[in-house]
Amino acid sequence: MTEEIEQIARRYARYTALGAVVIAAVWHLGYDLTVTLTGWSSFRWPVVALAAWIVYSAVLVVGALALSRTGRGPGRIRELALAALAVDVAVIAAVRPEELLGISDWGWGSVGWLAVMLSWNRPRWKSEVTAFLAANAAIMLAAMAVSGSLDRVSIAKYLVVIAGGVTMQLGYMAGCHMLIARAEETVLLARRLAADDAWRESAQRIHADRLRRYEAIRDVADGLLKQLANGADPGDARVREDCTAGAMRLRRLITEREDVPDELVSVLRERIDAAERRQVLVTAPPFGERLPDLPDGVREDLLRAPVRALDGARTRARVTVSAMSTMVSVAVVADNEDLPISPAPVREPSGVVVSYQRQGGEVWVNSVWQGP
Amino acid sequence: MGQQRLAGPVTVALVEDHQVVVDGVRSWFGPPSPVELVAQGPTIESVRGVAADVLLLDLNLNGTMVVDRVGELCAGGQRVIVFSEHEEPETVRAVLDAGASAFIGKGRATRETCLETILEVAADRPSVTPPMAQAIATDEGPHRPQLSDKERAALLYWFQSMSKASVAARMGIKERTVRQYIDRARVKYAAAGRPAPTKEKLLICAIQDGLVRPDEVTVYTSLAARTPSEQE
Repeated sequence: MTEEIEQIARRYARYTALGAVVIAAVWHLGYDLTVTLTGWSSFRWPVVALAAWIVYSAVLVVGALALSRTGRGPGRIRELALAALAVDVAVIAAVRPEELLGISDWGWGSVGWLAVMLSWNRPRWKSEVTAFLAANAAIMLAAMAVSGSLDRVSIAKYLVVIAGGVTMQLGYMAGCHMLIARAEETVLLARRLAADDAWRESAQRIHADRLRRYEAIRDVADGLLKQLANGADPGDARVREDCTAGAMRLRRLITEREDVPDELVSVLRERIDAAERRQVLVTAPPFGERLPDLPDGVREDLLRAPVRALDGARTRARVTVSAMSTMVSVAVVADNEDLPISPAPVREPSGVVVSYQRQGGEVWVNSVWQGP
Repeated sequence: MGQQRLAGPVTVALVEDHQVVVDGVRSWFGPPSPVELVAQGPTIESVRGVAADVLLLDLNLNGTMVVDRVGELCAGGQRVIVFSEHEEPETVRAVLDAGASAFIGKGRATRETCLETILEVAADRPSVTPPMAQAIATDEGPHRPQLSDKERAALLYWFQSMSKASVAARMGIKERTVRQYIDRARVKYAAAGRPAPTKEKLLICAIQDGLVRPDEVTVYTSLAARTPSEQE
């Protein structure tokens, strides 16, 4: 479901960008080229107009390639925008002064579409496209002033073309932007709903799991109480050990929360449970809630050596996790005599460093990951 | 101050609602212990007014967490040691910030470690139990103390290893130096937190012992109190 919606949003972004390219290309081929060729004799310098058409085409291709690759305008657009404005100036220069506001002067009406493509989906697209369209309008106004065509009819023509062009270009951009923004919002909402579902599901699973473990502990307690009622000696070391182990499990169950645990914590809890089933006395202070996101492979490297130490613990073990926003440290202290240890710290390819130490019949295995 | 304590046993009041824990603690303090339990009750009110060197406080009383009462208890200069199974770093930091002198994790407390912590706190010396080491080392709050890499490493190893001796072996230094790193970190932590009467005593003692110099103790000021240029 979420994937489908994300796909739709991606298509919105892609096809609206494609739309900008198609409009610019169709305009450029259908109008600009036709006017240049059919009005060849009416230009003062027709070759300049053709050269401007070719430069326009080059900028269009660069913009189209960037849009097809990344879905947004090129990384650096200043030179391209200046080239587009140069097209504008060149066409103005190529037409005869009396044709300044005529149909042959195709440049100033169509370069706006280049600006639309170049600034597409860039972070500051609004100010970029506005600045370009303003520059374009200013250039034309300056050309009118130079050629002395600032009469009422010329000004009216000028305003009509500017208003028409700007409305279409900005309107298309703003419309598409709103469409994409709505699509993205929908994706975020869908993701949040999916995350909620996942959270609810795992919380239910954890709850069920805790009930199951609670049952198991109750059985243990039942058994012990029956033993004591039937005359088992509380002074007997074995009976006392069983009681302590039951109390440890109960204590952890009390301090554990209903929250969805981190995957690293889940693995450790699973191994602690397994150790306790082997009658190993495990102490594990609460692991905390906020573990940072770990890059691929780090979790496995963090867990491997400590879990091996825990799995091989004979009678007792202590499991600790320390975490900061860019550091996670997992440690096990256990009476594990068989664990092969390395005297020097072991550096895993993921960046995790594992240290070993033996002291007084215990082994201390500590794996540490330091983020960037 | 430490010498004065030798005159008689250190007196302790205990707030704890589980009789089995009360009995356990009482047995730890039985003679020939240097510590004497002078009062005990299931609520904070039940030991109010009792003069004791140290108040040992369970955080979860009849199902209610009393973290927010620690500040009020410390305000009068009472040394408070929290004794709880809620060893989450956030909880430990909250009670230390409120002025508690130490935090003992119920899960791992032994007679020896508990007595050691009580005696250190009674003498206003820096005491760092493993849950405190973890809480101080992983503090990323805006007013966190500036710990050196070695101090932070010593704290983390102290929390995660078996003993201070193993920390010393891991860091390739003397055990005495490990203690110094850990104690200095505790003093810095106290200095960075909100001023509380008991923390001031700890700082004075730490200066007297040469653990820190007076100019290293910067008393916390709220960010809001600073001028804009200082905040940059």
